[in-house]
Amino acid sequence: MKSQALQELVKKIFGDEKTRIQFESNPESVLAQFNLTEQEKRAVLNTHAKLGLVTSDSQQLDVALDSPPWFTPTAK
Amino acid sequence: MILLLGLLLQPNSKHGDAGMWLRRQTELLRDEIEVLLAPVSEMADFHCLLEEPLMKAARGLSITTCGKPWPLLPLIVCESISGHYGHAIPAAATIQLLMAAGDVFDDIEDADSPESLSSKCGPAVATNVATTLIILAGRAIARLKVKGVEDNIIVRVMDTVNSLYTNACAGQHLDLSLSSDIAISEDVYLRTIEMKSASQIECACYIGALLANADQKLIDTFAMFGHNLGMAAQITNDIQGITRGSDIVKRKITLPVIYALAQTNGQAHNQLQNTFNRQFKFELDPAQIKALLFRIGAIHYATVKMEFYRQKALDLLSEIQYAGAGVKRLKLFLE
Repeated sequence: MKSQALQELVKKIFGDEKTRIQFESNPESVLAQFNLTEQEKRAVLNTHAKLGLVTSDSQQLDVALDSPPWFTPTAK
Repeated sequence: MILLLGLLLQPNSKHGDAGMWLRRQTELLRDEIEVLLAPVSEMADFHCLLEEPLMKAARGLSITTCGKPWPLLPLIVCESISGHYGHAIPAAATIQLLMAAGDVFDDIEDADSPESLSSKCGPAVATNVATTLIILAGRAIARLKVKGVEDNIIVRVMDTVNSLYTNACAGQHLDLSLSSDIAISEDVYLRTIEMKSASQIECACYIGALLANADQKLIDTFAMFGHNLGMAAQITNDIQGITRGSDIVKRKITLPVIYALAQTNGQAHNQLQNTFNRQFKFELDPAQIKALLFRIGAIHYATVKMEFYRQKALDLLSEIQYAGAGVKRLKLFLE
């Protein structure tokens, strides 16, 4: 199911400069204003720890999305 | 054909011992596939066409691959519970054959890849190849008997595969019906990918646990692990569809776009509507749309949702570990 609170959180962070600054310095204080589940909070915090705010293409984003191939095919 | 048969899968050094172990599993899977293809070996051209979608080094859920060997999941799950997996190899072949068939059908439906079987040989030949792969998947299940699996387990494997792949087909129907619907909601999108994608990974995990004679609670936990893994993988594909531009060009409506349409108004909203409404024939600027989706947080939102399902899968792995099963190799699917 979709999470209204998660949508509202991201909209607020990306649409309001003051909230964005607060989130970047103290994400938990912003999360406390929204009715997120514990798993949603963890997802937000983990994403922030790994990637910060995802505002453009970056090597970090590519790494997060592109798992290394497990196999490399080569001809015998 | 010789080149395809000669493909050797080398482990990625990052995965070390797991890579060697996976290479062994892949070789066994390839041998099983060759046994299944043997009845058509005298028809070299047909045999070659059947091999083509099967010999991809790593399979993804849809058009793009994320490098994960999904068909090996039944073996990895079975071994993590019981310590052995040899008898489950036909189950891995079943998943490989069904995913390969799905890839061929996807290419026929999308009609946008010049390298696809459908483009090279025409939709009639491609349809026949995909249909044959599905029939061979049924034969693969029957081969569990040769491996000493009890009849009642074989029937449960067959029922699980049929049930969850019926879900996958229904999800694909929803996707085809709604992919151009500008008003699609996030709930409908999530339901669609649950059915279309997550059910396939759920199936691979479920039958692996079933073949390990796990109790129903552990089977269900593995199935939920697979479900959440599949959700995370599909959302990853959908984010890549935007970052690589392919879904923008195709005007395909996926999670980042659904979020963006719901959260914008004014000029940004109109720009998105004009881009993703297929009834309009506006000139596209994929780079501009991609930048807009980043700027308003749509890619960030989808990335958090992907992480949400990844976390759920990790939580289920903790339960699986607590129940005594090994999780080291399963964790590699979440890297």
